[in-house]
Amino acid sequence: MKTKEWLIEKTLLLMALSAVAMLALIAIFVFIEGTPIMAREGLGHFLLGRKWAPTKGSFGIFPMIVGSVWVTIGALVIAGPLGLACAVFLVEIAPRKVADIVRPAIQLLAGIPSVVYGFVGIVVLVPLIREHLGGPGLSVLAASIILGVMVLPTVISISQDALEAVPRTYKEGALALGCTHWQAITRVILPAARPGITVAIVLGLGRAIGETMAVIMVVGNAVKVPAGLLDPARTLTSNIALEMAYAGGDHREALFATGVVLFMFIMLLNSLAALRFGRRRPSP
Amino acid sequence: MRPDPALARDQDLDSPRRDQDLAVPNGGAMAEHKAEMAREPKVRVEGLSVFYGGVQALKSVDLPVHANEILGITGPSGSGKTTLLRMVNRLNDRVRACRHEGRVYLDGREIYDPQEDVILLRRRVGMVFALPTPLPKSIFENVVYAPRIAGMRDRRKLEERAERALRGAILWDEVKDRLDDSALALSGGQQQRLCIARTLAQEPEVVMLDEPCSGLDPISTLKIEQALDSLKATYTIVLVSHNVQQAARATDRTAFLLMGELVEWRPTAEMFTNPRDPRTADFLEGRFG
Amino acid sequence: MAGSTSIQPIAELLADRYMAQHAGPAVEVQGGGSSAGIRAALSGAAEIGMSSRQLKPEETGLKEYLMARDAIALIVHPGNPVRSLTKEQVRGIFSGRVQRWEAVGGRSGAITFITREEGSGTRGAFEELVMGKETEIAPDGIVQDSTGAARAIVATDPDAIAYISLGMVTPEVAAIALDGVQPTHESATDGTYALTRPFLLLTKGEPTPKARAFLDFVVTPESQATIAEEGYIPVKPAGRGSGA
Ligand SMILES: Nc1ncnc2c1ncn2[C@@H]1O[C@H](COP(=O)(O)OP(=O)(O)OP(=O)(O)O)[C@@H](O)[C@H]1O
Ligand SMILES: [Mg+2]
Repeated sequence: MKTKEWLIEKTLLLMALSAVAMLALIAIFVFIEGTPIMAREGLGHFLLGRKWAPTKGSFGIFPMIVGSVWVTIGALVIAGPLGLACAVFLVEIAPRKVADIVRPAIQLLAGIPSVVYGFVGIVVLVPLIREHLGGPGLSVLAASIILGVMVLPTVISISQDALEAVPRTYKEGALALGCTHWQAITRVILPAARPGITVAIVLGLGRAIGETMAVIMVVGNAVKVPAGLLDPARTLTSNIALEMAYAGGDHREALFATGVVLFMFIMLLNSLAALRFGRRRPSP
Repeated sequence: MRPDPALARDQDLDSPRRDQDLAVPNGGAMAEHKAEMAREPKVRVEGLSVFYGGVQALKSVDLPVHANEILGITGPSGSGKTTLLRMVNRLNDRVRACRHEGRVYLDGREIYDPQEDVILLRRRVGMVFALPTPLPKSIFENVVYAPRIAGMRDRRKLEERAERALRGAILWDEVKDRLDDSALALSGGQQQRLCIARTLAQEPEVVMLDEPCSGLDPISTLKIEQALDSLKATYTIVLVSHNVQQAARATDRTAFLLMGELVEWRPTAEMFTNPRDPRTADFLEGRFG
Repeated sequence: MAGSTSIQPIAELLADRYMAQHAGPAVEVQGGGSSAGIRAALSGAAEIGMSSRQLKPEETGLKEYLMARDAIALIVHPGNPVRSLTKEQVRGIFSGRVQRWEAVGGRSGAITFITREEGSGTRGAFEELVMGKETEIAPDGIVQDSTGAARAIVATDPDAIAYISLGMVTPEVAAIALDGVQPTHESATDGTYALTRPFLLLTKGEPTPKARAFLDFVVTPESQATIAEEGYIPVKPAGRGSGA
């Protein structure tokens, strides 16, 4: 019995370690491949340079950094409120029958391959933007909307779990104190579910930053700092995915370096989220 | 097996107290009871049947609750005590499967009348739950929650309100120096008194407590019972308890529910000395779990 | 085999098919560019060289096998009145110098040009055949990474222009004439349409038996059908029996 437990424990430990090791290896690989060119070009040049002509020796990824930030924030602005509203509606307001239909429908959304989103973006959304708002249609806005819709299922289902995990007593306590249903939602349920909702949004953000296919199709991929929502832009991921297949030499290294920057972005995001969770005690 | 000495001692301590409680209010309670019958009760439940889907939780219950009394409701688990309370502040409105027949009156007005404002009703009829339900906020914010919701902004007034409520729940001395600490850091007994204070701070007319002492030690229980006794002058109190001793100690009248049926309701002293229905006697003697 | 990166993908595809059907030594495909492919064939570093351009007069001593042709068509929205451009105009548009349709005889409107990603074979061909050595494609143009996406955009945007392989043109878009020559199968095959290039496989002298087997495989009707599916112009009409 003792030895069996020992064995199980060690096996689990080994598995956990190998998972971590694999991640570490990938990270190390990306760093080894990517950092030399940053050093050669100078970090400032690499991060703030505006010219990207990798086959002609110019490696500035500033437009891509700006593009990624814009598109990700845009997606968040769309998916955050919409996803949360949807989750509140499903958990608190919708009649059971409606919720029972909508929930699986949302899960279905998550299963649609991203190329399909991209294609719908090209044939429906992009022309709409071009005709009604101007510009080429392929734009930060189009990418934000498509991404927003793509991360909705993540945001909704995790927010839903968070809302459902709020003890029923909180809500009933609030109702018994004379709150309206709406007050109970905004003042008690949402604050109590906040950590879970933050997780929902961070995971959504993670998916938004990492998503490539659909973005490539609708964002335009122009290497320039977008001046507005209707301008095309290129994101860090689309830069890597567009060119990695053919790249060699410095070009390849520069793409790995783009990966390093992306990596840093995600690390930053996760530590921000972790920081928020560190705050366990409720605020008065 | 030897009886647990501690248990025996407890009972020894308990029984004289009970006799005392029973003896003193006996005669007076009868007279009061008769006089009150003439007045319109604070809360009147009339022919109330409640169904959760196919399960009937209350069977045509008729029960008045008089102003400034402590009405005890007792009965075995699942007999419908909580359901009865939740019907009086309409907390079951949003329980999807729940449906009812019959009427509930507050000061003579049907609370389920479509014209009635459910929020106002809940402000007038406060409820304390079986398990403490502090919100994840500071002690102070928990107490002033209801007045804030109702629109009170003035800090001074809120502080006054909080102090009065905390004193009413006999908690003030323990928390007056740490009002900004998290309510979740309080002990279980303190949390429950905080919930009572929170209900008092909304200045209701009726306070309903659903087994407020179920998770508490004897000392906390005693404190809560003391608090209730002093609140009686101001409020109408309904105390649900499946602890027979507590019902005997702390209430003026007792209603006995069994499987959704109101078996009898009489002045506590009478009921405990001389139950009319054999089922009541069985329950009081501990023959139902 | 080694050489042109434009031929590389289709060569890899055919090599995989070939190896699945034939036991024996593996066929290995490497890139490097047309010039490198020619050098590799000459030096014997590769049994087969791949070139997506005609050999220059001084590049002698090699046997050529035409495996396919690649023709690039310029496409616009069917509603766009512009049906013909000169090479110079196209160069102007894609370098960012010409920005409005009225400047090339169209309706008033800003031109949205769509190019392919850095490293794409189609882009390589377009740069080589249209842009030339001096001009480059403007870096702030819209980039799509597939023919399908570029075509879908042109199909919905009356102001867009893109280049795709001739074999990929569908009726939702209009292929326009270059210097007065409409791109068709015939004009591409007989060489009157300028934006075409041959996909050549090269051997130094007679091919080795192993190379010969693969060269034969490339011109089978199935392989030529695959070539057509990938958007290139087959040298033998696919599926219609054996041609030449
Ligand atoms: N939300 C609900 N949905 C379905 N059935 C319910 C619901 N709430 C209560 N019931 C049922 O109604 C009956 C009465 O329950 P109630 O909670 O009123 O009993 P109780 O007397 O308060 O019991 P306890 O002493 O255990 O608290 C039980 O059979 C219970 O299963
Ligand atoms: Mg109960």
